[in-house]
Amino acid sequence: MKYYQPQSVNEAIEIAHSSQGMFLAGGTDLVLQMQKRKIQPKALIDLGRIPELRDIKETKEYIEIGSMATFSDMGQNQLIAEKAASLWLACQTMGSPQIRNQATIGGNLGNCSPAADGLPPLLALGAEAVLISGEGEKQMPLADLLEQTPLLSPGTLIVGFKIPKIYQLSGFAKLGRREALAIARLSVAVALELDGSKAGKVRVALGAVGRRAFLSDSLAQALSQREFNESWLELGISQVQGVVRAALGDRASAPYKRVAVAGVFREAIASLRQQGGLDK
Amino acid sequence: MITIEFSVNDKTYVLEVDPRERLLDVLRNRLGLMGTKEGCGEGECGACTVILDGKTVNSCLILAGQVHNSVITTIEGVGNRQSPHPVQKAFVEVGAVQCGFCTPGMVLSAKNLLDKNPHPSDEEIGVALSGNLCRCTGYDKILRAVKLAAEEGKQ
Repeated sequence: MKYYQPQSVNEAIEIAHSSQGMFLAGGTDLVLQMQKRKIQPKALIDLGRIPELRDIKETKEYIEIGSMATFSDMGQNQLIAEKAASLWLACQTMGSPQIRNQATIGGNLGNCSPAADGLPPLLALGAEAVLISGEGEKQMPLADLLEQTPLLSPGTLIVGFKIPKIYQLSGFAKLGRREALAIARLSVAVALELDGSKAGKVRVALGAVGRRAFLSDSLAQALSQREFNESWLELGISQVQGVVRAALGDRASAPYKRVAVAGVFREAIASLRQQGGLDK
Repeated sequence: MITIEFSVNDKTYVLEVDPRERLLDVLRNRLGLMGTKEGCGEGECGACTVILDGKTVNSCLILAGQVHNSVITTIEGVGNRQSPHPVQKAFVEVGAVQCGFCTPGMVLSAKNLLDKNPHPSDEEIGVALSGNLCRCTGYDKILRAVKLAAEEGKQ
């Protein structure tokens, strides 16, 4: 197996084209899968030497996060804490300190586990994914990307994410079997545009409910443009239970998850309320 | 094979390695640093914890190539019988070691915490050690030992 350490994105793309290698981000998923021989790459292209991929910055319209930003980088970043709270919250509970120090947001998408902790917040926050391949750079809503199979065509590199600065409030909650080191059994991310005392545009994404994290259109419709109060919360709970019921069908986990999601949704909303000082 | 250069416990090494080798294997098999343990081998238990460029990581989930030009501290670089690290001293004093398999990882996570935050709260200690599992002690004595080490540091 060959091992490359390109110094720039262009170099990485060229190597991917000529070597048919796999991109290596933090490695916390890929190394394990190689160890178990589930994946045996011809070549690895280690992205750890491309500093620009690790940037987290604010532009006029977006918070931009490079694909090689680790969960620790994001979880200790003031900008993300203030403007993408849902993602920041997910970063505090993902894996363990050791995993958070190594695992990256790009790798989280590339591996695309159903329980990937970073994806529901990015979906709820309306993130765009920035991709690059031999054919050039492309930007598309993460929600659309997650509907593609395969997720990425060979040789496509995840450059990063652009989170539009639309949603003032966002929250996240996850259910795991224990506090640390638990793979999410269920996660809920919510983003909300506040319009006086009303909820303007609302987006809700679910993780570990089905094959990949997804954004719920029906929840967005039911919860947007309504008075943000207790009955809004109760409406959200009954709706989210319906979404989980529909998504899981008669899977073994369904009876548990469609009940449990009520509590997880409630917690996600509670985490959102804490930022805005909405509680009187 | 690839060539990597890195520093382990203040000593520089240049090694030819198979790119599939994990940092854990390099430390144990090539450098003979047996203090780094392999527990689960899947990043769950933290027995293989080392400090890589100032951050704790699971060495079972990192490939040798990824640590090229990096600085690593293993348990062998933390203290020794003659002059134990304050965390190690506290572990002995409190009785935070039973079978000992998790201890190197625990000590490294605790040391790294105290290096960055010499006066952590109980919660901060809990979070810092949350990636290290112990099946013997029930954690209470380990948490007490880290607290003791932090208090000793204050004096």
